[in-house]
Amino acid sequence: MPPARAAIAEGWPVLLTSVVVGITYGVVARQSGLSVVEASGSSLLVFAGAAQFAAVGLLREGAGTLEVAASVLLINLRHLLMAASLRPHFARASFVERLGLGYILTDEAFAMGIGHFRRGHGDLVYYATFGTLLWLCWNIGTLAGAIFGAGLEHPERYGIDFAITATFLAIVAVGVRHRTDLVVAVAAGIVAGALRLVGATTLAVVVAGAVAPIVVLLARDEPSDTAESPFRTR
Amino acid sequence: MSVWLAFALGGLATYATRVVPLVVTLRGSLSPSLRRYLDALPVAVIAALAGAGVAMPDGRPTGGAEIVAGAAALALARWRKNLLLAVIGGVIVAATARGVGL
Repeated sequence: MPPARAAIAEGWPVLLTSVVVGITYGVVARQSGLSVVEASGSSLLVFAGAAQFAAVGLLREGAGTLEVAASVLLINLRHLLMAASLRPHFARASFVERLGLGYILTDEAFAMGIGHFRRGHGDLVYYATFGTLLWLCWNIGTLAGAIFGAGLEHPERYGIDFAITATFLAIVAVGVRHRTDLVVAVAAGIVAGALRLVGATTLAVVVAGAVAPIVVLLARDEPSDTAESPFRTR
Repeated sequence: MSVWLAFALGGLATYATRVVPLVVTLRGSLSPSLRRYLDALPVAVIAALAGAGVAMPDGRPTGGAEIVAGAAALALARWRKNLLLAVIGGVIVAATARGVGL
């Protein structure tokens, strides 16, 4: 099968999921006070699901610009590891091509692409096709959710305001791979919740999250030398 | 305007994490400790945001509805590995729990 067709044949469940999660993001972004243009703009500029949900959650709470940008950076730092793993497979790509291949690097594109390369294929078409389609699906989903998601009044009556928190919890539930992840997540969640209850700022919450992984530096029982993404939903 | 600045900066930072390792030759490699830290970071930051959201929804301490709804969302996500199902389930449980006065 040609690589472009293989990318669609193997990747369509992931692509479909990204449309649905994109719609969720669009709805949540509108309910958090963003306009349709801002919601779609965020998906074009950032193109990273978990970080975007975090960003709108922080904006909703009135967090500052730098707090939001720093949180997005912290959540996306993992891409450094993924890009470093992909680099040898992109050896034949030109500088400009790499700029494009980097833009479409997501957890899902990494997982699909690295799987393709590990099966012995050397082409970039598979990764590029899947990554571009994922980009399309995410942005179309965001736009649809943003357009249709603003009609609800008094969202708290329907629990809609809880959607962001529920999304974070679901991302964590899916992302926990081993006991160290679990310890880190529980520690970060409880410390952040307690800080919040005593009136701490959003920045303190994000710092609690950034400090919690130091637990993993103390735990030596679990190797994590792969750049495998914690955020894969299927 | 600050919304756009936040997304522009966040987008730029994100793009840098994706593209710098592809176009810049980095000497040496990351220490194992740093790799482990970076690996665990996203789950930790998002768990922190989740914990804060459960404890203080909309600026008021939770009355319990968010704890029940959060547990439902966690269980659904763990069970079906489906983000949307977990979010919808969590939202429905939150609305129901608030409806009965939690």
